[in-house]
Amino acid sequence: MPPILSIQHISKSYGPIQALKDISFDVPEGCVFGILGPNGSGKTTLLGIVLDVLLANTGSYSWFGGMENSSARKQIGALLETPNFYHYLSAFHNLEITAAIKQRGMDDRVRVLRQVGLFERRDSKFQTFSLGMKQRLAIGAALLGNPKILVLDEPTNGLDPAGIAEIRDLIRKLNKEGITIIIASHLLDEIEKVCTHVAILKTGRLLLHGPVDEALRSEDQIEVKAPDIERLQQTLQNMAGIKKMKLADGTLQLTCDTNIQPIQINEFCIGNGIVLSHLLMKKKSLETKFMELTNN
Amino acid sequence: MNALFAIEWLKIKRYRTFWVLACLFLLLLPLWNFEVASGLIKLGGGGKNGINFLSTAYSFPQVWGNLGFWGSIFIMFISILVIIITTNEYGFRTNRQNVIDGWSKMQFYHAKVILVIIFSFLSTIYLFALGIIFGGINSGSLSGLFNEFQQVAYFFLLSLDYLGFALFIALWIRKSGLAIGLFLLYSMIIENILKGIINHYTDMPFGNLLPLQASDELLPFPLMQMAKAMMPMISTISMTNYSVATICWCLIYYFAGRTILLRNDW
Repeated sequence: MPPILSIQHISKSYGPIQALKDISFDVPEGCVFGILGPNGSGKTTLLGIVLDVLLANTGSYSWFGGMENSSARKQIGALLETPNFYHYLSAFHNLEITAAIKQRGMDDRVRVLRQVGLFERRDSKFQTFSLGMKQRLAIGAALLGNPKILVLDEPTNGLDPAGIAEIRDLIRKLNKEGITIIIASHLLDEIEKVCTHVAILKTGRLLLHGPVDEALRSEDQIEVKAPDIERLQQTLQNMAGIKKMKLADGTLQLTCDTNIQPIQINEFCIGNGIVLSHLLMKKKSLETKFMELTNN
Repeated sequence: MNALFAIEWLKIKRYRTFWVLACLFLLLLPLWNFEVASGLIKLGGGGKNGINFLSTAYSFPQVWGNLGFWGSIFIMFISILVIIITTNEYGFRTNRQNVIDGWSKMQFYHAKVILVIIFSFLSTIYLFALGIIFGGINSGSLSGLFNEFQQVAYFFLLSLDYLGFALFIALWIRKSGLAIGLFLLYSMIIENILKGIINHYTDMPFGNLLPLQASDELLPFPLMQMAKAMMPMISTISMTNYSVATICWCLIYYFAGRTILLRNDW
């Protein structure tokens, strides 16, 4: 299956500032692709280029294996940086323009307004909306006409916690329906909870990319606790396959070989007469990994 | 083309500024001319008993040149409207959103170019209707309606020139206040300064060929025509050449605007 978006050697500079340096990666169909990076790492610039509003200095990209770009964009729902609407028009009339450009039916507007919880405010002018409502309208506009791809740049900006959870659920639901989602964020939590693939940018360079499991593979940690923590520590020192042990806040953190799973640890402890009160397999968090990657 | 204009119409039909400026143009142009024709405004000076030089210029065929001249001043309303509509897109960043939603940059541009052509066309139709009314009333008949009728076409060229220039300034400057300021400064002051300098140093009045002046020359102040007819002019530029110059300027605005849009980030 050809990639749904292919990015080849894209570079871009704003005067003396190099915003993107030779970025190449593919976005496979049907995934939730997270573009991750600290502020100013080039996430929005990259999305702006593939959406044709910014010009790359070098490099190319293709949607749907080489479809003409403006036709491709009609099948993409996108939210770039800020919600962009005519301030003097109502939500409903703004979506009329979006639908007309996308060449979609006007009747879909009701569905998307209900989906983002703005149906009751459909006749209010955009300029009367709060930041969160503007963001919701922008997400609604992106959903118009059931796009094959959603491109969301910081989609949870300005949303309240309930709104953030709603968007996360929506992303999962749409992805299950087969829609490819490209999401840029500096909020690791947002990416970690929904993404299947990830690309990490830092000051315009692509640090790594690929499926989340592979790209962010790291040594897992196992946490254990027992009523007598010192005896547990002494006992586990004799177990093969444990590479590192650290006691922190009354919890033992073990770094093990890949063949050591919680079940082996439990068996070993019970065999030595210790009953564990806590046993947890902990994937190294994306945040930890991200910090490692981006802090040189 | 229809689809582009249909979407452009969605953007402006509920925009109050559009209606206010369009209605000001539609109301003030006939009101002003009515006052000049009936002697309420006396351009000859001399207070209440002064002479009104222009009140005779409302019958055929002078009505076309006369209305055309006033139209060239009132078209400022529409020029400013074009600037506001275009710079709004940058202010709201809807220029980006239109492209993100599936227009090409050229479609965005052509929608605005079509708007300029349609505004010019409608203004010309309106001037034509006013001409029939003023000319018909003052001449007492419609005979001679088509004398000097090329001046209606001149007004179309003049409108294209002004609105095209306004669109170019708006795309170039992007900020509404600055664009309007620059447009007014150029049309009222800067161009006259340049014209004065150029005409002083050249044998032919080449300064008259500057962007807006070229079309202004097509519809000069009505008394100027009479004065020119009486004076033996040494060298002048023909109406045909002014028309060609105006068309050339419109093409230059089009290609310059296109270059600006394609070469820059949005």
